[in-house]
Amino acid sequence: MKSKAAIVGVAQTPIYKEFPNSVLDVALDVIGRALKDAGLRKDDIDSLVVSPSTLGGPPSFMLSCSLAAHLNLATRHMTLVECGGMTATVALKSAIREIESGRSRRTLVLTMDHREMLNPKDVDGFMHNTVRTQTCLYGVYEGPYGLGAPIPYYAMSAQRYMHEFGVSARDIAEVPVMMRRHSANHPDALYRDPLTVDEVLGSKMMCPPIHLLECSAFAAGAAAVVVAHPEEARSIRKDAVDIVALGEYHDPSHFVPLRGTITSFISARKAAAEALAEAGIGPMDLDVAEVYGVFAATELMLYESLGFCEPGKGAVWLKDGRSTYGGDVVMCPTGGRVAYGHPAGTTPLFELIEITRQLRGEAAQRQVPGAGLGMVHSEHGMLNGSMVLVMKGAQA
Amino acid sequence: MKDQIDAATDIMLAYYGDAASRQFYELLKAGKYQSTRCKECGDATFPPRTFCPICFSSKVEWKDLPSEGTLYAFTQQDRSLRFPKPDVIGLVELEGVGLILSHIRAPLESLAIGQRVRVEFLKISDTLTLHAFAPV
Repeated sequence: MKSKAAIVGVAQTPIYKEFPNSVLDVALDVIGRALKDAGLRKDDIDSLVVSPSTLGGPPSFMLSCSLAAHLNLATRHMTLVECGGMTATVALKSAIREIESGRSRRTLVLTMDHREMLNPKDVDGFMHNTVRTQTCLYGVYEGPYGLGAPIPYYAMSAQRYMHEFGVSARDIAEVPVMMRRHSANHPDALYRDPLTVDEVLGSKMMCPPIHLLECSAFAAGAAAVVVAHPEEARSIRKDAVDIVALGEYHDPSHFVPLRGTITSFISARKAAAEALAEAGIGPMDLDVAEVYGVFAATELMLYESLGFCEPGKGAVWLKDGRSTYGGDVVMCPTGGRVAYGHPAGTTPLFELIEITRQLRGEAAQRQVPGAGLGMVHSEHGMLNGSMVLVMKGAQA
Repeated sequence: MKDQIDAATDIMLAYYGDAASRQFYELLKAGKYQSTRCKECGDATFPPRTFCPICFSSKVEWKDLPSEGTLYAFTQQDRSLRFPKPDVIGLVELEGVGLILSHIRAPLESLAIGQRVRVEFLKISDTLTLHAFAPV
């Protein structure tokens, strides 16, 4: 396995309901801590990639430029990247490509999602503020129907999944139960209390068949990562983690494809197949993975599309204990999007930071013993596009 | 909320629409449910486009969409930006075309995957008519 680039410094905020300070305060905090984690100084950085300050919110016009000016950071490459839920990994890929090309040696990636309009005490206000964004997001032919969030699409996907494969509501409710067992070991997770299947099924019905406790929680957060050239990564940090493979595929659809299926995701299949082939491994060679399952049923369909089990068998794979500690591959040791929390604009880097910590062997109570190979999956739309990274640590 | 979604829809159609979307919504106002079909390769698509998404030919014609389809999936939104409760949303499979998202005019509990539904025209305002489906 050849290293494309290496992760030498990481930092993240806790999962917030909203930022405790300004965007700039939070950005400077994670940048400073990522540099410290790498043992580098600000001027060791030679390129900068940032996300918008939130997905679908107020403009982030020239944010990378103003941030670099504020930092007094000269760069050889600088850009702002947006690709829905995949924003953070597309930003990371921009850094990886810059390093692979040889133009940059140490790239800083900053991603964030401040969700300033998300006040849980004022849902009407939130909807008022987001009506134009939501309408435009779903487009000229679906936006006019007044979707307030993407959950109806995922609900119909879950309904078809149950219909086509005979998966029961109880089967799906096992997902948040497992996720809470994992998140109990993560001090920053949004939800850490244990859950039962009956509690999940007794929670509020959101869009049938999706219950409240099967949803990922909108959240805020920020992350910064320092990516270095493989030749010098180990002189920066002995336990640098290598990105050894990358797969990416975008189906030409936005939420529901005109033709095809909504119970299996071609983008995840193709991105995983490409990345695993490049790494020269099968899915069961992985020790740990963080995947972008934003609802419980979606998580199961993702296990299948990524190749961990056969179509329709995600719940069986989970129930048999194969998706957790002592099984085949530990899925989402953070508790995933459902229990850990989901600041969409930065979620993929939160996933990558967890895999980095696992492969460094510093994941404390949630450490997967001997973790050497990990996967990060991210997506946009309703899995219309996916990126899969394979990462390798010293224990591989 | 209705005024806001109407305003947002007007802005969106003006900025992100095209000749095909303007024609589609004009046809809905006139009670016609149509999309474009390629005169070269025959592909019947949705949404309508000024070109064929399969062969990229610009020779397309407007043709009636099937007025009946099969309910492929459905759910209900708690807080719609547009419709009062119950806001039932469905995917309708139109034969030879594909899956189309629409408003379903029936209680959620009465619906089943696979049942036949027929198109209806829902006048929202003087400038906007939407398609909706109801059980046959």
